Amino acid sequence: MGWRGIGHIATLLALLSCAGVAFAEDDCAASSDDCVAVGRWNLSVALGAGIRTNPVVHAQDIPLIFVPQFSYYGKRFFIDNLDPGVTLFEGETNTLSLVASPGYDRVFFYRSDLQNIFVGGTTAVAASGATTFVRNNQNPQAFQQIPERSRKITYLAGPEWTFRYARVTGQVDYLHEITGRNHGDEIRAALGIPLGQLAGSWSANVGVTWKSAGIVNYYYGAPGIYEAGWALNPFAKLGYSRPLSGKWKLDAFVHCERLGNAISDSPIVRGHYVTTAFVGATYVIHK
Amino acid sequence: MTRIQRTGQFVARLLALLGLWTAPLAYSAMGPSDENIRLEISPRICTLTGRDKQCETPVHAQWRSSHEESLCLVIVTRPNVKRCWEHYAKGTYTIQLTFAEDVTFQLRDVSLEHVLASEVLRVIREAILYRHRRRQPWNIFD
Repeated sequence: MGWRGIGHIATLLALLSCAGVAFAEDDCAASSDDCVAVGRWNLSVALGAGIRTNPVVHAQDIPLIFVPQFSYYGKRFFIDNLDPGVTLFEGETNTLSLVASPGYDRVFFYRSDLQNIFVGGTTAVAASGATTFVRNNQNPQAFQQIPERSRKITYLAGPEWTFRYARVTGQVDYLHEITGRNHGDEIRAALGIPLGQLAGSWSANVGVTWKSAGIVNYYYGAPGIYEAGWALNPFAKLGYSRPLSGKWKLDAFVHCERLGNAISDSPIVRGHYVTTAFVGATYVIHK
Repeated sequence: MTRIQRTGQFVARLLALLGLWTAPLAYSAMGPSDENIRLEISPRICTLTGRDKQCETPVHAQWRSSHEESLCLVIVTRPNVKRCWEHYAKGTYTIQLTFAEDVTFQLRDVSLEHVLASEVLRVIREAILYRHRRRQPWNIFD
């Protein structure tokens, strides 16, 4: 990601945070799972055993052992792990924000990507760097090498609408890549559904990510060998949480994402699914 | 003026003089004078942030008077706290306190019936604004 792109993000967020925005009265009067104090940092660490399967050829599955999470909320500005944003409107049931978020697919290719530490989005695996060969279309007896290439850090930005209906939380983001690497677009949509209490809290999340051809090709294309189109990745997740003593709580989840055909058809991808599972204890360091 | 009238005037003047002479004695027999007693406490304010539930601090009380006094220092709502002095012109007292509301220190006479001086140790709570946390069902760890 170039410095110009970072500058654009920072300037946009700074201007918007200073702009007059509408804030309706909200129902937050104390710290809770849904409410946070303005001007405070929130930091927690999850320690446990987990794994994320890897659909990229020659790549290894990613273990999930230590997962930090942090956030900061100003009156309008916020940062949620690697996502900075500014809230334009906040009411009891609807919130509209402008957010920036890193392109998640890079974690397939670089273990050093920060999203392999601050695990938040979809797939998070790392390629081993081994060479991939595919059959030559003109001569099926022969193989041709897919050249190694770099995938730079990208950031996407755009509006995010979060809504609540009864106890269900919904989220829709429309994001455009603003770091000039692929000019692609993503739409992220999901619902969070509490399932009830049985020796702890159970919840289900369902959603989908639409990635434009520009994004899919940037990560999974092979120039001259494979030209991808757009992809639609649905996912489902089952989660469990139970408070323990003090600042500890027990967390567990299973998350399964189906890769869109444009991704799974790529010669550097094997399989159609990415599964993530984790069980561990979360400690709230600061809230 | 008749002799009786002159006698009456003399007696009235004599009584007035006696009253002026005995007034200070009578006054001092009533107990400590509260006009010259100064009570100071330190600290005078305790600030609670959003995370603090109560204040815990040693509180230092100091009093002084222009005369020797016999009095007691008490804390309102803490009946077990009482420190008395007899025939002192000043005194100090330090106590470790845990509190979440204002604490009132009083100097009272030894019978504890009259308040001679009073100071309040105030608790100020930090005003904290809250807002909704960003909910992100798309986030795997949300």
